[in-house]
Amino acid sequence: MEFIVSQLSGFGAALVNLVVDPLSYVYLITSVFLGISFGALPGLTATLAVTILTGFFSNKIPLDYSLIALLGAYVGAIYGGSYPSILLNIPGTAASAATAMDGYPLAKAGRGGEALGLTTTASFIGTVIGTLTLLVFVWALLMVSKNIASPEKALLALFGILLSGTLMSEDLVIKGWIAGLVGLAMSMVGLDPLLSEPRYTFGWSYLLSGFQVVPVLMGAFAVPQIIDGLRHVEAGKVLALKGRILPNLKSVRRHLPTIGRSGVIGTGVGALPGVGEDVAGWVSYGVGKTVSSEGEKFGRGSLDGLLCSETANNACIGGALIPLLVLGIPGSPPAAALMGAFKINNVIPGPTIDPEIILRVVAILVIASLTMFLMGLFTARVFIKILAIPQTVFLPVVMVLTTIGSFSVGGGINDLYLMLAVGAVAYFMNLMKYPIAPLVIGVILGGLFDETFRRSLFLSDGDLSVFFSRPGAAILLVLNIGLIVSQFPAAKRVFSRLKGLSV
Amino acid sequence: MEKIDETLVLRARDFWASVVLIAASLFFLWKTLDIPLWGENRAGVSGSDWYNSAAIVPLFIFGGLLVLSVVLLVTSIGSGGARQALNAAGIGWDKAEAFRSLTIGLIIFAYVVGLVPRVDFILCSGLLITALIFGFYGGHSQRALVACIAVVAAGFFAFATNPAQPDWNAHGDDWVTLALWTGLTVLVAIKARSESVLRVVPIVAILAPLILVCMMAFVFRQNVPARGGLIFKQIEYHYYVSLRPLWKD
Repeated sequence: MEFIVSQLSGFGAALVNLVVDPLSYVYLITSVFLGISFGALPGLTATLAVTILTGFFSNKIPLDYSLIALLGAYVGAIYGGSYPSILLNIPGTAASAATAMDGYPLAKAGRGGEALGLTTTASFIGTVIGTLTLLVFVWALLMVSKNIASPEKALLALFGILLSGTLMSEDLVIKGWIAGLVGLAMSMVGLDPLLSEPRYTFGWSYLLSGFQVVPVLMGAFAVPQIIDGLRHVEAGKVLALKGRILPNLKSVRRHLPTIGRSGVIGTGVGALPGVGEDVAGWVSYGVGKTVSSEGEKFGRGSLDGLLCSETANNACIGGALIPLLVLGIPGSPPAAALMGAFKINNVIPGPTIDPEIILRVVAILVIASLTMFLMGLFTARVFIKILAIPQTVFLPVVMVLTTIGSFSVGGGINDLYLMLAVGAVAYFMNLMKYPIAPLVIGVILGGLFDETFRRSLFLSDGDLSVFFSRPGAAILLVLNIGLIVSQFPAAKRVFSRLKGLSV
Repeated sequence: MEKIDETLVLRARDFWASVVLIAASLFFLWKTLDIPLWGENRAGVSGSDWYNSAAIVPLFIFGGLLVLSVVLLVTSIGSGGARQALNAAGIGWDKAEAFRSLTIGLIIFAYVVGLVPRVDFILCSGLLITALIFGFYGGHSQRALVACIAVVAAGFFAFATNPAQPDWNAHGDDWVTLALWTGLTVLVAIKARSESVLRVVPIVAILAPLILVCMMAFVFRQNVPARGGLIFKQIEYHYYVSLRPLWKD
């Protein structure tokens, strides 16, 4: 009880600090507005919003304010994706793909205002559910994580990369793993963390410090999207918004069970290392279709279906921050960009993180979701106007933003060359349906994996049993092996046979 | 012509991707052998155990990558991808799409490698924005070609005349970029009579880089590319000499 009271008072203090600081509002309103605009523009994603702002703000203003800017944009962009999904039938972000299934038919039936109002409310409640879960679980996990030693950390990092590769692959799972390994390989460049042995520098002094995170993020997430988006797309007709956006309380109350369930699912999926908001949206939609009383209406304009994905993708934000703050393993691609911002500010997420930062993050998320809620309800028509801007007009500006952001973090032209090279690789990977998120997570976690794996071997004098003699390590090793083996064709055949038997 | 199944196209692409990945894995495995593995002197410390080596994790990674690439190759061959991989249609070659990607790729390459280090940021970004919107709004391939030629010419000129860093502050390439940008803007103005979206291009092309570079330099106090550029040099001079004393004094 004493613990809960102390956490709540700490959270209260962080919230008050935020509320009484006028500068916070400037960053908050600007970043949430930018986030919603990014999400609303098809072709720009939440990851891109956080990545660009990481390049822009992360080392230029105090961490407290850059966290406001990045988290505000994150919350706003995930929500903003619902606008084009509902009014254009084009998902603004991958996280909103499931939203279009029911949102657009609702708007066509003249219920666009109602859909948008409920989506806004559900996104707000979803973010709050994720945030509260973060507040409660992060402390429990932080206590557990203090007992996590190098072998567990190495296996956990590997598990994060493998899981992300498995779940983010559109095509063959092996492509996700290859992307993760390419990311890991990229992180090997530079001086090794234990003996300062140069690796793969080819005599180029720039590479001694390894690949910088921001140019890699910009290259991986922004460049392919710019190349892919610069094509002539007949601007879809934005459906006229009919009905009032302000939701009625009765309707919200009726959908509360769906919102609550989807919030929990979204948070849970978000807490899985490396799995993002799009997976959360689809999982919640799938579960909703099975358990909802109006499951058969899903895909034909069901409010329940709409709320399943929209609540889950916003709840995923709080969930994705749990592994990031507790273990230093990003829970989603935008969280990977946040990790980059932490790194630039010399903050190392994980068991040794300053608890004040966690409380500040929670307070920011609460205020950012409230800002998003109010903006969504009262300025929705502004964002609807943004939908009419063709992507061939705003993507060139994004290219300029990306360039100057990437340059200013390290202050060197070499960072731009790195961004370009990573961008070219990521473009071809996109073309061949390799997921990009595992690559970025591989780059970010590569250093941790290398250091902890080798430290484990150091301390055990090369005895490999260190990876299965400790209970935590043994569980993680089984999970890693299980994840790999489960993708073997023979294992899949066994699973499907067992499934057939149980049916 | 019969339309090829999308999965088969992907498998054909996987064939080439796996070949590249196998070559890259083998190359980096070979490079990893440069890192001392068995009992050699590392960073001035004499070690004798394999587990001290900085090569352990890279060996694991590139070994894993090699195995996965071989599995991908086998999958691709097994699914008929290898048979498709040797003809253009098999890998889903689309001439128009290749032209679009190539022109955008060249524009971005010329901008990042040729222009940004050497030419005033406002000028080169203005040219980039104008070229990309003019070239790709509406999907006209001729306009894309003109836009690509303009940016590549500016980038090539800047690179060829000032290849070494000490010469990056010279202004000859700034003038050439400005001339090309002006020429492209004239074309935009002509087309803007029938395409109203193009009317905003000059405004966006001037304001976006101007605001960004001024914010970076004077609000966030960060380094910006080509500080000695034709326009930014003047802005910086007047900021510190004419404007700043107004509130500093």
